[in-house]
Amino acid sequence: MKNQDDQPRIVVNDLVKIFEQSPLWMRALVRSNVSEPVHALTGVSFTVGPGEICAVVGPNGAGKTTTFKILAGLVSPTSGTASVMGFDSFENSVAVRRAIGWMPGDHRSLFMRHSVIENLRFHGRMQGMSGDAMMSQIRNTLSLVGLQGRGKASVFALSAGMRARLQLARALLHQPQVLILDEPTGSVDPVAAHDLVELIKDIVEEQEIGVLVSSHRLEEIETLHSRVLLMDNGSVRYDGNLDELRARWDKPTVRISFRTSAAAHDATAVLGNDGIGTVTHDGEGTVICSLNPGVTQADVFARLRGQIEEIVELKETHRPLQAVLADMYKSNEDEQ
Amino acid sequence: MSGSTNELTRFQAVRASASAFFRVTVIEELNYPATFVMRLFAIVTPLIPFFFISELVGDSEQVGGDYLTYAVIGLSMTALMSGAMVGFGTTLQRAFQRGTLETFLIEPIPWSTLPLAMNQWQVLQGIVYSTILMGAGILMGADINASGIPATILIGILGITSALSLGIISAAVLLLTLKSTPVLRVYDIAASLLAGSIFSVSQLPAWAQWLSILLPHTYVINGARTALMDDPGTFVMPLRTAVIALLIFDVIAFPFGIWLWNKTLGISRRLGTLGGY
Repeated sequence: MKNQDDQPRIVVNDLVKIFEQSPLWMRALVRSNVSEPVHALTGVSFTVGPGEICAVVGPNGAGKTTTFKILAGLVSPTSGTASVMGFDSFENSVAVRRAIGWMPGDHRSLFMRHSVIENLRFHGRMQGMSGDAMMSQIRNTLSLVGLQGRGKASVFALSAGMRARLQLARALLHQPQVLILDEPTGSVDPVAAHDLVELIKDIVEEQEIGVLVSSHRLEEIETLHSRVLLMDNGSVRYDGNLDELRARWDKPTVRISFRTSAAAHDATAVLGNDGIGTVTHDGEGTVICSLNPGVTQADVFARLRGQIEEIVELKETHRPLQAVLADMYKSNEDEQ
Repeated sequence: MSGSTNELTRFQAVRASASAFFRVTVIEELNYPATFVMRLFAIVTPLIPFFFISELVGDSEQVGGDYLTYAVIGLSMTALMSGAMVGFGTTLQRAFQRGTLETFLIEPIPWSTLPLAMNQWQVLQGIVYSTILMGAGILMGADINASGIPATILIGILGITSALSLGIISAAVLLLTLKSTPVLRVYDIAASLLAGSIFSVSQLPAWAQWLSILLPHTYVINGARTALMDDPGTFVMPLRTAVIALLIFDVIAFPFGIWLWNKTLGISRRLGTLGGY
């Protein structure tokens, strides 16, 4: 097994997936949902290293789930390659499925009328585990995800947050080198989601697992402090960390209160001619500057040197991450 | 094997997946005990009308003079094959609808082991139903020739393999069409009629008799009658013919079924429909 510690856990290279309409003979049997070729992925490349969390973010239809399914061998690529621990996802999908822990967002993937332990036992047997060693591993994993003492409970009796933890336990049971989490917090409340994300973070730090996670909740991505892969229309728009992305695309707002309306008026004239962003005066003592990307509060302060004594308060606010991303998605510029 | 995972040989993978699926299905069945018991009643109930029909038919030459025994063997062998044939498609479709199919496919076992692993409960159920039918028939007065039981078991095993092959072929089609069990049910009923489960094949029109020759059911049902009845009626299937015909069918159909299953898995992976419904 090619599992050297420094080896990239996931390598995706120029991945293309075009979903074609089903053949005519098949359409005679069942109606096709695809009326023309769908370009789901158009040349996606990235790697994930050991102990690295890579968060895949993007609107519906961006290609996140298709990428995940290709990695797990459930969908074949049109061209390009995807490999996990050096094994090709298409050619050697059994080895890949052994190396990954898979957590879908949908709780329906659990056996609902079975107990927590039976759900894990099924997976353990499929992974070639058995006997006392398997039961010991099940107990350890349940403890790891905070489900100790719940082993005999039926899945039906668990809360959504606990079901998500059980799915995480199932993904971790066989001690995989790679975790693929497809919207793991999709159906849990924000508090449970936060706890789950913290748990994932701790486990990854401890076990040096490579993690690929998708989520619609941007606050979770910020909590993970992970590398971010922004996907849109089947391609990667940005691959890097969130701080750099924010610095590039965020337009913070600086609100400056002056002692007098006249001072505010003068400041508006100074700032308005300086290309720092959009400057508005509320007609009284307040000036609001919506800064261009790259301009900081310090730049504004520097330009107001002559009026510093007139300033009562200066307050900077950042836009929510989703607004930053929405701007980026609206632009046609690639950030890679 | 241990708590950490091992690379499995194909045989180990079949054994691991078989035991995992068996356990999960048994627990599921035990969750609905009333359904399980009612199903046993439902399998025996159809015998009752045949008891009275046998009184009506009397000593017809077509059925060897004992219609109850004739019908009991026909129904029992049909039940045996029905479980193996419809089971995989039914389990697969249920997994499609419940959303558990992806869970099965993501496990590190060769997908070609799924048709056997997912179907074993239904095969076992078919054997149990078949035995119960035979037992209930004997209690009602069916005259079974005990010396023919070993030959019947051989025919039964070959018949189950034939039914499994047909079930795998149907499940392969199900992967692409998402629904195939209604077609299989129609086939199941048609096969039991054409194979003469409750009447003699010799009563069918000539063209239908030709069709019945193509069905493994014909060899299973009528081969079992030859083994278990002193006089199997006007349509006599020599045991040797039944065994050879079933062997030929199995040798061709089973590998073809597995090949087709793998082929349609490949098409589904390409179309992106695997795990979707």
